[in-house]
Amino acid sequence: MAWLSRQFSTRVIVLIPIAIAINIVLGYTVQTILKLPIYLDSIGTILVGVLAGPIAGALTGILSNLIWQYAPVIGGGTIGPFAITAGVIGLLAGIWGQLAVYRSRPASGMQLIVAAIAAGVIAVVVVIPILNNPAYTDPNVGGYPSWVYTAAAVIAVIVAVVVAAFIYVRRDLAGLWVAVAGVLTGIVAAFVSAPISAIAFGGVTGGGTDLLVAALRQGGSDVIHASLGQGLFSDPIDKTITSFVVFIILSGLSPRLLARFPLGDRLVRDRAA
Amino acid sequence: MTLRLSAATYRYAGARRDALDSVDLEISTGSVLGVVGPNEAGKSTLCLVASGLAPVVVSGRLSGSVTIDGRETTDMRPHELAQRCGILFQDAQAQLSGTASTVFEEVAFGPRNLGLSLPAVIERVEACLGALGIASLADRDPARLSGGQAQLVALAAILALRPDFLILDEPTSQLDPQGTRLVGDALRRLVRESRTAILVVEHKTALLDRLADRVVVVDEGRIVREGPTADVLGDAALPGHGVEPPPRVRVQSALAAAGLGTAAETDRLMAELAT
Amino acid sequence: MTGSSGTVPPDRGPDPSVANPEGSAAGLPAYVLRVPTGTYRSLNPFTKSVVALSSALVAFGVRGWTGPLSVLLLTAAIALVAGVSRSLRRFVLATIPIVVSILLINAFLYPGATDVLFRVGPFAATGTGVTVALQATLRVVAFALSVAVFSLTTATDDFLADLERRGTGRRLTFVVGSAIGMIPAMASRATEIVEAQRARGLDTEGSVRRRIRGIVPLAGPMVFGALSEVEERTVALEARGFSAPARRTVMRILPDSGAQRALRWLLGVGTIVVVGASIAGRFPLP
Repeated sequence: MAWLSRQFSTRVIVLIPIAIAINIVLGYTVQTILKLPIYLDSIGTILVGVLAGPIAGALTGILSNLIWQYAPVIGGGTIGPFAITAGVIGLLAGIWGQLAVYRSRPASGMQLIVAAIAAGVIAVVVVIPILNNPAYTDPNVGGYPSWVYTAAAVIAVIVAVVVAAFIYVRRDLAGLWVAVAGVLTGIVAAFVSAPISAIAFGGVTGGGTDLLVAALRQGGSDVIHASLGQGLFSDPIDKTITSFVVFIILSGLSPRLLARFPLGDRLVRDRAA
Repeated sequence: MTLRLSAATYRYAGARRDALDSVDLEISTGSVLGVVGPNEAGKSTLCLVASGLAPVVVSGRLSGSVTIDGRETTDMRPHELAQRCGILFQDAQAQLSGTASTVFEEVAFGPRNLGLSLPAVIERVEACLGALGIASLADRDPARLSGGQAQLVALAAILALRPDFLILDEPTSQLDPQGTRLVGDALRRLVRESRTAILVVEHKTALLDRLADRVVVVDEGRIVREGPTADVLGDAALPGHGVEPPPRVRVQSALAAAGLGTAAETDRLMAELAT
Repeated sequence: MTGSSGTVPPDRGPDPSVANPEGSAAGLPAYVLRVPTGTYRSLNPFTKSVVALSSALVAFGVRGWTGPLSVLLLTAAIALVAGVSRSLRRFVLATIPIVVSILLINAFLYPGATDVLFRVGPFAATGTGVTVALQATLRVVAFALSVAVFSLTTATDDFLADLERRGTGRRLTFVVGSAIGMIPAMASRATEIVEAQRARGLDTEGSVRRRIRGIVPLAGPMVFGALSEVEERTVALEARGFSAPARRTVMRILPDSGAQRALRWLLGVGTIVVVGASIAGRFPLP
């Protein structure tokens, strides 16, 4: 264990606890004060992953959950077992960091229109198979009730429109990659969380999204599919919002500050001072 | 033992200008050097470069040489630098580890990092707390101290590494008058009782007046004036460099301007007022 | 865990049962040694963590009634003996939302169950569903209690000091200790930012869209402020020799004993056996 931590520079060792505290405080504030049904408790994890790599990101996620579960005063709740999910999110963030997903890619005119169209095309490509899925069209085939597929299609279209608008308004192609990263992270998170929720918490979350779990079960889904369905609804949205927040924050940091971190230079390119 | 900067020029990574321009400076054991100058003059950079932390920890490019007792700072690792040259910054709480439950453990943080034996760690902690007169704070929670107390704990924590040189970057600027007095008195005591060489950056020239043997004025990354404290702080050109002279000098100038006495007489008056 | 051990404990001098190969603990003042006292509280932090971890694993990993029930009874007993039972209330209350969900959704909407017990309107509660619901509830409550008992009987700094003594590097110890220590300051910063944004018109009660717009003005300053400290703190740590290669001096040694070591092994092996048996379907008890 000592060998592992020696891989990290002192700067990263200083960054991680700050990120953990951000996760916990922001997560709590957003849920309790802004009262929004999203978590936003992975901003710190994703930041560390993007700046310092997958292992640092995973460590941040895991420790955040364990500390939030067991630490004095703030401890409690049901977040501990989801440390695995948090670790995976950090790992993915490290991969996005190495791929320079969050680097600004200023573009203009034609490129923007092309990117906006690409976002639309991706949405269509996602929607058509859903609508053509026999589980949707033929009531005799199992799976989710039909309204789920309609909802998924509608959400995909809305997301595509928002992303296209973002790209166009900020004149930045990165919006596309940021959205893809967020959606992928959300999907993976949902798949990792579903069995944890099923094994430990009877397939529910204790929050408002349990209405969705109930509806899915009413429609015939078993425990793990209902849990997965709920996850696939809320996690991609949550992680995509988080992804954009992280992008906006990173784009506001000075290149000098970023360059000091292991993967920071990938975010900079020709934004140098 | 000497800490010497020779033609030291420093530029932070990604910066467009040099923060320090060809600085020549020297401090030896037992002396106290004051540093004054306007804001953004490069005084903090001077501290980081003199302690070796720049460029070893803070990335940047150093030309010229910085040597501690003949050894280049760029040849040393951070923990070796820490044992030769300690540095104290303005924000006390940011320098504390944030992981110690008592002041004792906070001061022990450094010696423990070096792997010293436990009796040696205990001895150093007690010695440093005593030297600064804060032994009574040993069982307190570092996060709950006043600004001045926290600054003294941070200083004790640095001294626990037994550096030969001590660099203080505006140690009292975030403190209220009481905190300033606390730190000032502790520093005077430290100077009296040890041979640590001290470089102190301060806006409060009154403090330097009583502490420093020599003073340098830094402006735009260069040393523009250097000499014994009384000379430099009494120099009429000082305010032109954005530095406010100490009260003693201001009173003297005011009295002289009003024609109210010779320099010797005002000196005696100020000495009486000071006690 | 209860943060640092609060008020200064009475001076008990060096503990004779402590084997201290690092040197004389007699030189350390009592307020540094802070030997914990009280039934269960005085156990070594590592022992208490093994108990907490085993409890969690058994509560979730052993399906059926026996696992969660035994953990529940064990942790309740420990809480009583350690004198923290009154403080358990808040932890138990915190589980209510999820317990309500578990009970309702599993009792009435358990997939594939046909043994209806009773009906409420259009919904039918099934025997299978109710069993699953109750067992899941037991698991959640047992877990919550095991967390509570650990939090309430183990001081963070004791836990970290003991871990460090056992070989965890200074870096991991620092990360955990620093994170926990930073939370109060960051929480007040967050409150300040929310207040400042409210004064500028941020709506924390308005529509969802407006509240979402409030995220960046909250997250932005918090993250910027926190990141700006990174450089300062890195320099400060290096100035204290943080990256020195030597093995860090062990200062606080929490008492341990052969009996506790045996208990830890027993719990560890027992947990693996019991959970393994349950997974393999061979756990004999219901």
